[in-house]
Amino acid sequence: MAPKVGIVLVSHSAPLAEGAAELAGQVSGEGVSIGTAGGTDDGRIGTSIDKVERALRLADSGVGVVILPDLGSSVLTVRALLADADDLPDLVVMADAPFVEGAVAAAVTAAAGGDVDAVLAAAQEARHATKL
Amino acid sequence: MPQSCEATITLTGDLHARPAGALSVAAAKFGATVRLSAGEKQVDAKSVLAVMQLGASSGQEVTVQASGPDAEQAVAAIVAILAEASRVGE
Repeated sequence: MAPKVGIVLVSHSAPLAEGAAELAGQVSGEGVSIGTAGGTDDGRIGTSIDKVERALRLADSGVGVVILPDLGSSVLTVRALLADADDLPDLVVMADAPFVEGAVAAAVTAAAGGDVDAVLAAAQEARHATKL
Repeated sequence: MPQSCEATITLTGDLHARPAGALSVAAAKFGATVRLSAGEKQVDAKSVLAVMQLGASSGQEVTVQASGPDAEQAVAAIVAILAEASRVGE
């Protein structure tokens, strides 16, 4: 099977990141690598640049990774990593998207074999999805 | 030349998140545009959030419409997923 775009969920809360990853993985079916980086290194609410870097490397299958941050300050952590780290995977992009809906939409598009642009677009279009 | 194809199935279970995901993953693999309609709503089958928003429930008729060179295969695949989702009814 062709490699699929990876997804990294960055949250201030480890259970939130893991729960969103579990849900997105269940909806999309198997085959999509969804990494999580939740909480600080010592398990508190916050974000960790090291956790994001580890998740990014694990999620990468060589065809790109889409990162979804939960709230604004997760964005700062991701930006700091992308600006400073060496030898990151190619084609890493950050999505401006609602966390749960974006994760589900991104995972489904990745499962269908979409490229980084398609997965990013699916995540970002989730902002316009209504529920009722 | 683009082809169109359409089929309708009556659900025997609600269309929940997992089958909605399976449906969108399958739909995205076809070149044809695929639309689902239930009641007054019509959505793009390739958008999982739209498929969930359709809110298709047990007893409701869902129509699958596809347009494009592989429309026939697309409709067959989506109807099969809807039938399976209905049966599981999770």
